[in-house]
Amino acid sequence: MSRCTRFARTVPLVSARPSAAQSRKRPTLALLRLRPSTSGVDTKILAALAILLLLTQLPHVLHLPIWITVTGVALVAARLLASQRPELTWLDLILSSVVLTSFAVVVAILIRLHFGYFVGRDPAVAFLFVLVAAKFAELRRGSDATVLMCLASFLLLTQYFYSQTLLAALVTVPAVFALGHALAVIRDPDNAAPLKSNIKLVAVMLLQGAPLAILLFFVFPRLSGPLWSLPEDGMAQSGLSDSMRPGSIGELSQSSAVAFRVEFDSEVPPYRQRYWRGPVFEQFDGYRWSPSHTARPVKTQPSDSNTDVIDYTVMLQPHKQQWMFALETPTRLPTGSDAPDASRRPLALLLSDGQLIADDPINQVTRYRQSSSLSDSQPAPRGPGTHTLQLPSNNAQAIAFGKQLALQHSTPHAIASALMQGFSKAPFRYTLRPALLGNAPVDEFLFDTREGFCEHYASAFAVVMRAAGIPARIVTGYLGGEMNGDYMIVRQSDAHAWAELWIDGVWKRYDPTAAIAPSRVENGIGTALGVDEPVPALARLGGGWVTMMQLRWDGMNHAWQRLVVDFDNDSQAELWDRLGLRTPEPWQITAVVLTASALWMSLLLGLPGIKRLHRFRAERELPPAERAWRQLERLLARKGLARVTGETPSDWLARISARRPDLAPTLRRLSEAFNRQRFARCDNTSGALALAHDFSTLRRLLRKPHHPTSAKRAKQRATS
Amino acid sequence: MPVSVTSEAGDGTRHPQDKIAGAIGDPGAVLNQIERVLIGKGETVRLALACLLARGHLLIEDVPGVGKTTLARALGVTLGMDWTRVQFTNDLLPADLVGVSIFDRDTTRFQFKPGPVFTSILLADEINRAPPKAQSALLEAMEERQVSLDGQTHALPDDFFVVATQNPAEQLGAFPLPESQLDRFLVGVSIGLPDAATERLLLEHGDRRASVETLQAAANPAQLRQWARDTESVHVDTKLIDYVQSLLQATREDGHFGHGLSPRAGIALIRLCRAWAWLHSRDHVLPEDVQAVFPAVAGHRLTGKVATGRIAAEELLSRVDCP
Repeated sequence: MSRCTRFARTVPLVSARPSAAQSRKRPTLALLRLRPSTSGVDTKILAALAILLLLTQLPHVLHLPIWITVTGVALVAARLLASQRPELTWLDLILSSVVLTSFAVVVAILIRLHFGYFVGRDPAVAFLFVLVAAKFAELRRGSDATVLMCLASFLLLTQYFYSQTLLAALVTVPAVFALGHALAVIRDPDNAAPLKSNIKLVAVMLLQGAPLAILLFFVFPRLSGPLWSLPEDGMAQSGLSDSMRPGSIGELSQSSAVAFRVEFDSEVPPYRQRYWRGPVFEQFDGYRWSPSHTARPVKTQPSDSNTDVIDYTVMLQPHKQQWMFALETPTRLPTGSDAPDASRRPLALLLSDGQLIADDPINQVTRYRQSSSLSDSQPAPRGPGTHTLQLPSNNAQAIAFGKQLALQHSTPHAIASALMQGFSKAPFRYTLRPALLGNAPVDEFLFDTREGFCEHYASAFAVVMRAAGIPARIVTGYLGGEMNGDYMIVRQSDAHAWAELWIDGVWKRYDPTAAIAPSRVENGIGTALGVDEPVPALARLGGGWVTMMQLRWDGMNHAWQRLVVDFDNDSQAELWDRLGLRTPEPWQITAVVLTASALWMSLLLGLPGIKRLHRFRAERELPPAERAWRQLERLLARKGLARVTGETPSDWLARISARRPDLAPTLRRLSEAFNRQRFARCDNTSGALALAHDFSTLRRLLRKPHHPTSAKRAKQRATS
Repeated sequence: MPVSVTSEAGDGTRHPQDKIAGAIGDPGAVLNQIERVLIGKGETVRLALACLLARGHLLIEDVPGVGKTTLARALGVTLGMDWTRVQFTNDLLPADLVGVSIFDRDTTRFQFKPGPVFTSILLADEINRAPPKAQSALLEAMEERQVSLDGQTHALPDDFFVVATQNPAEQLGAFPLPESQLDRFLVGVSIGLPDAATERLLLEHGDRRASVETLQAAANPAQLRQWARDTESVHVDTKLIDYVQSLLQATREDGHFGHGLSPRAGIALIRLCRAWAWLHSRDHVLPEDVQAVFPAVAGHRLTGKVATGRIAAEELLSRVDCP
């Protein structure tokens, strides 16, 4: 015994924390309290929090500026380095509160300079990102760890400001586990279980909590709109723009990003009728088409009783603009849902030029119900304005050509058909990579290069028609859409432009692209363009397994969006309706949730209780010493000191004594008493009394937190 | 050099309560004496004495020259018992062991001339060299504690105790003991080579056999018989009976060990546990007693070899729940 302790004294204690002797070497620093690593934060807590922070930071890497990411990760790394290498005093200086506070101020200024504003999603999240890392860097007390975990949870949630897809949800899962691990470690850092068993514990607890979370998901009252409207951030978002120049649709067509998804209530319209109407342009300056801003809100035209109305739901991806898409021609305004409640406010206005304009820019995935009757003519409540005949000052050749056409043909329809035929007969080429056009793009396209994408044809068509005296305008939107299971995906690669002519009191659709590349209208862009064109692989038909996998993934995301993210106030109302209940009052929901929680928790806690009752019954038959022994076995097993198979009682208690010197005397007495009580012939009551006494001593000792290092030191002090 | 029993015993520090008293006329003194000549082999010496107290026989499996004979002689001298040594060879006849009837001309009768088995401690050296007939003659004597010859039975001394040795090395012309005969030996041990320090001591002090001659008797056969009766009153709790039973069961279950341990082995094990606990001044058997003696009882029975059997038995102990 004495030999052992003498040995221990000569060997320096192996401890994660720097010993007192080490800190005494630098009295000045110790006095300044600049050494976070000497503070009362355990290495295990630090490690658990570091894992949590890094996993929380990970999803943000995608959308934060790189310097913010580097700063945040560097702060975490610096703190870890400081705890590993206490001799690096300069690190302690850097990680002092004073330096870190001034650092945070500097970062705030830099963020303001980087983004140009401060109150908004991006700068706020970036600042939070750095602040959380800085808090970790100056972690001092155990209570700081709790604060840090709250902050980390909040930071984790902020990534849903950017994306609410299935992937975004999955990416947060490791951080949730790390959070559970950190909570478990903080509860009892000295006897912390290893990561693996903590992860198991967290998994079990998450599973146990899942039914309640699901219940809350369904019954928790939702707000009818978003909690706060997210300010518009300058994030690049692909989509149609508010003007059209040669090449703008072509560029968009090279993106396979999803524009919106559609679920049809019954029949899916044929491909050539999938014209999704978007922005309408009536002004042309010779190069660029832009909206006229003369359109006024109008009422929708009730559909004729003899045409079929198609009902569908659109899930529009955010595109930062105000227009919403509907099949030509919409018969009503988009609404949030079809719930029986008829007085539902529409989400958009219908303008006289046939555009659906939402109240606010579409900054998040928006789901709306829409009905259309398929037709190629738009009702026009008002006649065409004079600007629909306005001609640019350049492109004289095209204008002359238009005037000539007007002389040759009598009716507007004949004029339009003549030009369409001209497109199909002359050697025009449909391509995503046309030759560059100069100052008179329409002239050059019509008579010189003769290659272009849909916007070239639509634009040239409209100019020539205007020159022929027919009011014309450009409509952009999407043509087509691909079925994936039970829903349709419309991608940016389906972007399209076509023309409308004022004929016989309606705006009639003319799609010149159909004349040059009929398969574009019939089958989609993939078949209309040559194999060397930069069409996204997803737009090509019959793609391999990659396409299939991507469609599967899109299907899962769609289901996630529809079932989870879009479960809003209306869906909830529908759910109540389907269950045949009125929408419950908040107090009723509270009562239901509380009752369900109570039942579930009593079930969870009750199951082991019932098992314990059975065991208790079985043990009642045993002699008292044996019962007490079983108790001891359970007591120590709960503390992670279980007996291994084949270990004798004395060996077991001796092994624990070696690990926990503070328990050794009690355990030795217990060991002797139990051996006598359980294996000897006598059964003297005095022994039983001693047993009970030692037992309660042991319980008391086990309740006290155990610090292995301090115990070692105490032993050292006692022997020296 | 005086050697303290408690400090050298293999697990003496594990059970500080198991002190062995050192006064003359008690088992502690006997152990002290023997260990004086068999330095550093406290565990083996204790097992040998426990085996003797449990009225079983001892099988020592080891290479020559590690002190097998010394152990037998020291036991004999210290306990005040007479002992005989028989070197087994492949031409040994049963009569060479048990004795013959000789016609006496004077009395005109057959006179029984007792063989070397008629002794208290019989050291049967290299038992596996003798042919099966001679082996079984010895084993009958061991089991029945009597010798039958020409229709007459001759009882052996009450404290008849066989210490048999066998060389573990595979050798030509050896007759390995069959399982049924190995079962007759209560304890199988190997003495093992001494550690460096002990060996140096041995080299310094010369022949151990000479030092055996200097030993004094520390007990007498009557005392030994009393002790043997005392061990029978040591209490074995039912939990330990269950434990022994599940150990036996475990040897039979996985089929590694043929048929496993016999009930006779189980009875012997409990007897030995009693003796072991008694040697440690306790009136009851503890689980660690069972674990201490189990490898010695099971080893040679399970695998036919002490050394490999010991490992198998210890592995078995770590698989069976201990009360």
